[in-house]
Amino acid sequence: MTDGKDAEKHEFREESESLWRIAFAPAIWAIHFVVCYAWVSLVCVKFGGDPAVMRVSLLAISAVALAAIAWLGWRAFRQWNVRDTGDFTNPEGEAEDRHEFLGHAAFLLAIISAIGVIYVSMPLIIIEGCR
Amino acid sequence: MSDTSRFDGPSSADPELEGIYPPTAEMIAEPMDPELSRAQAERLSRAWATPTGWRYWSSVNNTEVGVWYTLTAFCFMLLAGLMALLIRLQLAVPQNDLVSADLFNQLFTMHGSAMMFLFAVPIFESVSILILPSLVGARDMPFPRLSAFGYWCFLIGGIFVIGSIFFNVAPKAGWFMYPPLATEDPGPGSDIWLLGLSFIEVASIAAAVELIVGALKCRPPGMRVNIMPLYAWYVLVVGGMILFAFPPLIAGDLLFELERSFDWPFFDPTRGGDPLLWQHLFWIFGHPEVYIIFLPSIAIAAMIVPTVAQRPIVGYSWIVLSAVGTGFISFGLWVHHMFTTGLPNISLGFFSAASEAVVIPTGIQLFAFVATLMVGRVKLNLPMLWIAGGLAIFTAGGLTGVMLAIAPFDFQAHDTYFVVAHLHYTLFGGMVFPIIAGVYYYMPLISKKLMSKRLGRWSFWLIFSGFNITFLPMHLSGLLGMPRRVFTYPGGLGWDIWNLVSTCGAFVIAAGFAIFMFDLLTHGRRSALTPRNPWGGGTLEWTHDVPEANWGVRSIPYITSRYPLWDDPNLVERMDAGRYYLGDSAEETRETIVTSVIDARPLYIQPITGPTWITLVAAAFTGGAFIFPTFHMYWPAGICGVLAICTIITWLWRDTARPPKTHMADVGLGLRLPTYASGSRSAGWWAMWITMLADSTAFASLIFSVFYYWTAHPDFPPAGSAHPELMLVALAGICVALAWGATFGAREVNTHGRPGLARALLGGGALLSLAAASFMTLSVTDLSPKTHAYPAILSAITIWMGVHSALGALMQLYCLAGSTFGKLTPRYDADLRNVTLYWHFHALAALIAAATLGLVPLMLT
Repeated sequence: MTDGKDAEKHEFREESESLWRIAFAPAIWAIHFVVCYAWVSLVCVKFGGDPAVMRVSLLAISAVALAAIAWLGWRAFRQWNVRDTGDFTNPEGEAEDRHEFLGHAAFLLAIISAIGVIYVSMPLIIIEGCR
Repeated sequence: MSDTSRFDGPSSADPELEGIYPPTAEMIAEPMDPELSRAQAERLSRAWATPTGWRYWSSVNNTEVGVWYTLTAFCFMLLAGLMALLIRLQLAVPQNDLVSADLFNQLFTMHGSAMMFLFAVPIFESVSILILPSLVGARDMPFPRLSAFGYWCFLIGGIFVIGSIFFNVAPKAGWFMYPPLATEDPGPGSDIWLLGLSFIEVASIAAAVELIVGALKCRPPGMRVNIMPLYAWYVLVVGGMILFAFPPLIAGDLLFELERSFDWPFFDPTRGGDPLLWQHLFWIFGHPEVYIIFLPSIAIAAMIVPTVAQRPIVGYSWIVLSAVGTGFISFGLWVHHMFTTGLPNISLGFFSAASEAVVIPTGIQLFAFVATLMVGRVKLNLPMLWIAGGLAIFTAGGLTGVMLAIAPFDFQAHDTYFVVAHLHYTLFGGMVFPIIAGVYYYMPLISKKLMSKRLGRWSFWLIFSGFNITFLPMHLSGLLGMPRRVFTYPGGLGWDIWNLVSTCGAFVIAAGFAIFMFDLLTHGRRSALTPRNPWGGGTLEWTHDVPEANWGVRSIPYITSRYPLWDDPNLVERMDAGRYYLGDSAEETRETIVTSVIDARPLYIQPITGPTWITLVAAAFTGGAFIFPTFHMYWPAGICGVLAICTIITWLWRDTARPPKTHMADVGLGLRLPTYASGSRSAGWWAMWITMLADSTAFASLIFSVFYYWTAHPDFPPAGSAHPELMLVALAGICVALAWGATFGAREVNTHGRPGLARALLGGGALLSLAAASFMTLSVTDLSPKTHAYPAILSAITIWMGVHSALGALMQLYCLAGSTFGKLTPRYDADLRNVTLYWHFHALAALIAAATLGLVPLMLT
């Protein structure tokens, strides 16, 4: 029993670094966005090249970004731990609630980042060329 | 002590904290000796006394500075509003000749610039400075003199910019200053805009630094991130956005002013420049700015709604998601202001998609508010009326925003009155109404009196209906093809009636504002003191003292829930008795507790600086350094700059990071805390970190410019152009690296008790940084920046690095002097740790600059 408690204490302590962590998924959205924008500029404005290749490779990058966000989201969902605790809102001033709250926030941000990546990828599917 | 925060850096596993933390329930319940409590209150009251008479203006306390700041911003708003009335009068009928075309241009440029830079952004800073400390139970902001300095800068810069219209020399190229119109514009108008507003932007960044540190490090013990007031979350997000949004504009301003003053052709296409670069830099700032304005205003709604519903907010995490998500996605929208500039369609698609996506997080918080109201027991009050009106208007503006985000629709509506209608719906609904709601809601906190309910309702209905009468018809006149920014128009195009209606509406709005301002300025005389918590709120600001006591809070509480006033009926009484932390000030000095970022564990006692004139003097000299160049007076500007630096050094030397008299001090409830901190535990270190983040963003914008030219122009660098001297660039890079090593080494040997060696390293480091600055300058002497954008942008990067190296040397010498005169010791080394942090950033930037100057010409040609 004490072992379990200690393990829990350890877990809640470990993640204290995670104010950054809630921003990881949106940061992946931002990097994906910049890569799309820069690559299109280079192909369409600077070097020329086959827009079809550009679109397929950017869509592949979108898939990678989505996979990374999904992984972060899954970890965050586990951290929120709502299935075990049944606590959706984590309003208490204790380490466990803070831990789970940050998981919840990161989980929600992962969802919105995934939506963002999907939205930004849609022009790659719909628009065929540079013009 | 189970939750030491690794986010705080390695030093926070705290061997120095002595005594008991967290406090037990019995300790908090133990009554205070009334005699002792009274004596403590008297000491605190003396420590925090506001100066009287003319010395009142030397105050730096957040309650005074916040009020000045807010009132000044409101004055600028009223002036900008009067300009809007003139604009509407001119447009009331076709072929009107009330004002000339030139004056009209000045009016709309100044209306936009003043509303954005002198009202919308500063009002966020001023309101936050005013209320954030009380929301988190702190005595003051962490750096009150910085707020005062920011305020004086804002006042001087604001008067300078807005005053220009009375001399008929105001900027007149529109609030976004597009070149070539703005670069070619004769007269000082554009310079006034560039230099005056850059000055204010610097003050904005200072405020952002202070607010972020305030939200992260000055929360009361126990207030973990999952229970801090939502307002603090918004402040954090908006502060972060300012750090990434304002610097690109400052970099753009620098390039723009170099073109205006010295004819370096950054935006001149005949010499390799590109006007679109300005549009990118401006809108990378400009679109996030819309959310920088909107989020803090909606944060006020997030405080009012739970009070009105008399229950905790529904979906706390969802609102955090909403704020953080909006903060990020708002940086992917800027090109939707540039849909008609001929970028590849697929690029337009990205920005169109992101513009649609941002609606999701923005909408979520509105649904959370509605949900809170639905499940609560609503007691409708005046602030809620304004919030409700604001949300209705904002939603309408959001819907036209969704329309405009679709590129083909924007092609049609671009630069028409449809856009004018859209932006006013978002800004009035998203910002003006919530801010006024906040004024009504928080007035008991500020003047200790309530504003009139009757006048408030009159004002609301006048502004609400006047607003819709003014701006709803603009959708139609815009769709009928009326362009923005025309000083008059021919009759018979179907625009006449709508313009007349808009003009009438504008005066209804003005009547509403007149009533509001009348009430704001005179309610003090008409009403009695309010009860302490007139709305029945649950958060810490409602523990304020009536009548006013300057100490912020009598004692800093231990907090364990989101709505402590609702959850702990004894809290206020115990705070008042001085039961909690820092209920005393034995030396009668100003202090507050600095806590850890995640879990708000107490870390140390931070001394808070008191009243002074030095901030005003520093702001005046800084103002001179920015204002004189407007009139091409470079010598006075230089002298002012040097004096500003001297003043700021004096201010820092005399009053910051002095070694304390005792190492530990008692803060109450059986806890003893250090009286000094350095490195990542200290508030100053965080301020440096955050400032340098902003600085790096500006530098990144300059580097972005190089690659932008390269992408957009087939002949960049132009064939046969001179390049920086590779050898000298390499030398500069090596010197910076060595100077960084010397600083880092000085920090290490100083910590290990060898201050003599540290001093030698600092002195050597300063010489190396000056050498680096010289080598970098020498490397570009063969370039002639007037001939082409390529030499110009490389020279601009050199200027940037030279100034930063010189600043780095100054900091090293400051530490050297500190070590020599006993201000900086092996144990009390905050200055040296902060300077080392500066050098981490500077060394990285310098290496990137050296690579850009040295390698780019080889690789890109």
